[in-house]
Amino acid sequence: MNDTVGREARSAAELALREAIGEILPTLPAAEITGNRHLRDLGADSVDRIEIILTVTRRLGIDEPLSAFSAIPDIDHLIDHLARARRA
Amino acid sequence: MIGIEWLNVYAGLAGIALTELFDGRGLDHDRLANLMMERRSVGLPFEDPVTNAVNAAKPLVDALTPGERARIELLVTSTESGVDYSKSVASYVHEHLGLSRSCRVLEAKQACYAATGMVQLAAGWLASGHSPGARALVIATDVAVVDEYAQYAEAATGHGAAAVLLGDQPRILAIDPGAYGLHSYETLDSARPEPTLDIADADRSLFAYLDCLTRSFADYADRVEGADFATTFDRLVLHTPFAGLVKAGHRKMMREHTAVGAEAVEADFARRVAPSLAYPQVVGNLCSGSVYLALASTIDRAPVQRPERVGLFSYGSGCASEFLSGVVAPEAGPELGRMRIAERLAARRAVGFEEYTRLLKETRRCLVPERDRRVDPEDWWDFADRAAHPGELLVLTGVENHHRRYDWR
Repeated sequence: MNDTVGREARSAAELALREAIGEILPTLPAAEITGNRHLRDLGADSVDRIEIILTVTRRLGIDEPLSAFSAIPDIDHLIDHLARARRA
Repeated sequence: MIGIEWLNVYAGLAGIALTELFDGRGLDHDRLANLMMERRSVGLPFEDPVTNAVNAAKPLVDALTPGERARIELLVTSTESGVDYSKSVASYVHEHLGLSRSCRVLEAKQACYAATGMVQLAAGWLASGHSPGARALVIATDVAVVDEYAQYAEAATGHGAAAVLLGDQPRILAIDPGAYGLHSYETLDSARPEPTLDIADADRSLFAYLDCLTRSFADYADRVEGADFATTFDRLVLHTPFAGLVKAGHRKMMREHTAVGAEAVEADFARRVAPSLAYPQVVGNLCSGSVYLALASTIDRAPVQRPERVGLFSYGSGCASEFLSGVVAPEAGPELGRMRIAERLAARRAVGFEEYTRLLKETRRCLVPERDRRVDPEDWWDFADRAAHPGELLVLTGVENHHRRYDWR
């Protein structure tokens, strides 16, 4: 976890992300969503990944181009990015 | 009024069912739901970007009188399947279509956006009035060079060409003058750095496509007073790398521009977008021809009864994009129907996975520079169904001292 991201902001981002993943991949056990994995490791195909990012950014009120999410290596970094973008 | 007078698509003589390809490659069938594709065209060893372009355009050119043909004063091939660093595909196409020696001949490269960029530049030149009554022929042509290394992208890649004849009698689509929006920036989302290697970063590419759809439409709306994504366009025709991405793009735009719920979005998709996907779903991605394959699909699948406005979106990796619009009149249906595209797509020979891999071994050499090479079309007719192209067919017969050789069959 990145120290520059506040704990509260990060928790909110993580919760929203877990909800979005649950909606797009309803058969995925929540325990499989671990920080060191990429969305594709969870079985999300490219269209699922689009939907997850669009859903979570909408919920968090983040207005960023999708391309800002192109090179995020794993779920931990994705949560950091969401928390930072929400605060910005 | 300037626009598309006539349109044709050539998508090869063979195709493979995606379930067959998925089984052969061991791909996950669950992915078919979001891919939203059924088949894809498969190239044959005597086909290349030149033959695809000529075979797409020949029926259009043949239907013109000699006088009309002489007024094709601009020929552009757009391709990411160049056959030489210097000599263009267009030079061969110009010869084999028998176009005037007073014709301006060019090749354009801007990934899957190139054809639309050239359609717009050609329309601007035609509208200039510098040569009243002139026509322009833009042909988007490509071949597939990927094999199993490309994973799911192999299944989405098509083979063929779309020929677009532009002039001042736009029977297919009258282009709205000055109504366009652009969005472009540098990125390496997909590319062909070697003659047999396509590289792609799925997230980078799909996210760029969707950002460009949003931003190019925003630029369009800045230029066109009152433009509204949900109400201005009776139909939507989007570059279709695979149909599932178009569906995702439509959904994103509807969320951004309306407050309607999921059911209304789905109904809007079925009405305005789905008819454009029927051909791409059985051909695969035709690169810069893809948006014109989708245009042909919507006109053939859901013939217009009154003039309808179409919003078109073209995206090319790298990246460059444009949102533009035009009007399709009721006469477009019968005019395009003369090309019998649906019939020819259905007539492609269905090849099995073993046959496909045997063909691929040969067709992947298509763009590899060779000083001399012989191709005997007669060796490959078992893999083709001529009903997929009833007229004369241009075939590659080889390369002699770097000069590509062609013949008619």
